[in-house]
Amino acid sequence: MFTLYKKEIQYYLNNPIGYIILVLFGVFANFLFVKDIFIVGSASMRPFFGVLPWLLLVFIPALTMRMLSEEKRTNTVEVLLTLPVSETQIILAKVLALTTLIATGFLLTLSLPVSLAILTKLYFPEILAGYFGSLLLAVSFISIALFFSAQTKNQVVAFLFSVLALFIFLVLGTDFMAGIIPKDILDILIYFTPMYHLQNFIKGVIDIRSVFYFISLFGIFILLTIVQLEKRD
Amino acid sequence: MISVVNVTKKFKGVTAVKNLNFNAKEGEIIGFLGPNGAGKTTTMRLLLGYLTPTYGEILIDNLDPTEDRIKVLRKIGYLPENNPLYQDIKVQEYLKFISEVKNANNLQQVIQQVGLSEVVSSRIEELSRGFRQRVGLAAAYLSEPPMLVLDEPTSGLDPIEQDRIKELIIKTSKDKTVLFSTHILSEVEDVATRLIILNRGEIIYDGVKPKGKGAVEKLFKRLIKTNDNIVI
Repeated sequence: MFTLYKKEIQYYLNNPIGYIILVLFGVFANFLFVKDIFIVGSASMRPFFGVLPWLLLVFIPALTMRMLSEEKRTNTVEVLLTLPVSETQIILAKVLALTTLIATGFLLTLSLPVSLAILTKLYFPEILAGYFGSLLLAVSFISIALFFSAQTKNQVVAFLFSVLALFIFLVLGTDFMAGIIPKDILDILIYFTPMYHLQNFIKGVIDIRSVFYFISLFGIFILLTIVQLEKRD
Repeated sequence: MISVVNVTKKFKGVTAVKNLNFNAKEGEIIGFLGPNGAGKTTTMRLLLGYLTPTYGEILIDNLDPTEDRIKVLRKIGYLPENNPLYQDIKVQEYLKFISEVKNANNLQQVIQQVGLSEVVSSRIEELSRGFRQRVGLAAAYLSEPPMLVLDEPTSGLDPIEQDRIKELIIKTSKDKTVLFSTHILSEVEDVATRLIILNRGEIIYDGVKPKGKGAVEKLFKRLIKTNDNIVI
């Protein structure tokens, strides 16, 4: 599986697209946090972790869209599937490569807590929990985007469906939905939204139920992607 | 040893291949002939476990390709139809990747054997069609598999490059079981030791290659014509 992982990473190292997406991610993440910091008036990373899922909503589909759709379009998927490796290994190698890229993107935002730490005293366990939760959220988003990449040979279609699906997941957990969906239903639905579970991590709490939620979300979509890859008839 | 018994493959109700029966032994070079849509590629994909038979049984050295896909794939070198390759990486990188996945230790030997030494540092997208075909063949030869399944290995190549590929197949096929499909009938005359002709998903000929120049072409055209008339 390491060989497959290396191949995926090499694609992004050999092509400008990976660097461009990561730099843009770093720039936007830093900008969105810095632009409001003096208005908010509190030296906390919570606003950053609150806005991060909305950035990932675009950047993860942008990185993921080609992963399977391009393999299907060029039929290199047949090369992969006729090598002595399992579908699960192929998919997990892709997830691992994308996770590495997203983690690299997160590293580009470390300038934020470092800058804040110069201004004030920060509670680092809370920040670590925020990054950990955001990484779990990112991995579950990768699995959703990969699922849509497996459905089509068209990268743009994969991107658009991924963004739409992630948007629905995210928006369900916002106050905006309170005016649209009856409260009783929303109270139940909210338990299934990533934003609800991310809140715990943002507050510095690593809730096992939330960890389980993200792992389950990841597991469901990875399984669906593997099933899709196994369907060749 | 390849064993195909009563194999049928249907795609959403449409029969692609029907009641296929054949065996292939070590040392045989089998030419798969048939018009477009005859079922050659489907048959090859079934042998690799890439597709699952709707009915029937396939055994590769007594292993079922559907159940033991990875073990079977360790025994088969495959050149897919149209030779799909990752265009944006170098030849060396691509073959190293395949070599590592297959646990092969004959990478340098294959590069020399296939005649890729001068282009190993080139990106695949920069290569001529002939060299790309050689890259696909090299990938199939890595790890020295006892069986080779080559789907139209000379498709789209000029006559000189076709001859090179034919020579290569003959040279590297000793003690192997080779199945190759083609539309070029003279290629079968030059390379194959046995002939399987498919039409409309069924085997209409399985036997020795007829001797004499143009004999394969005559046999092929006669059988297809007769078979089409029967079907109509």
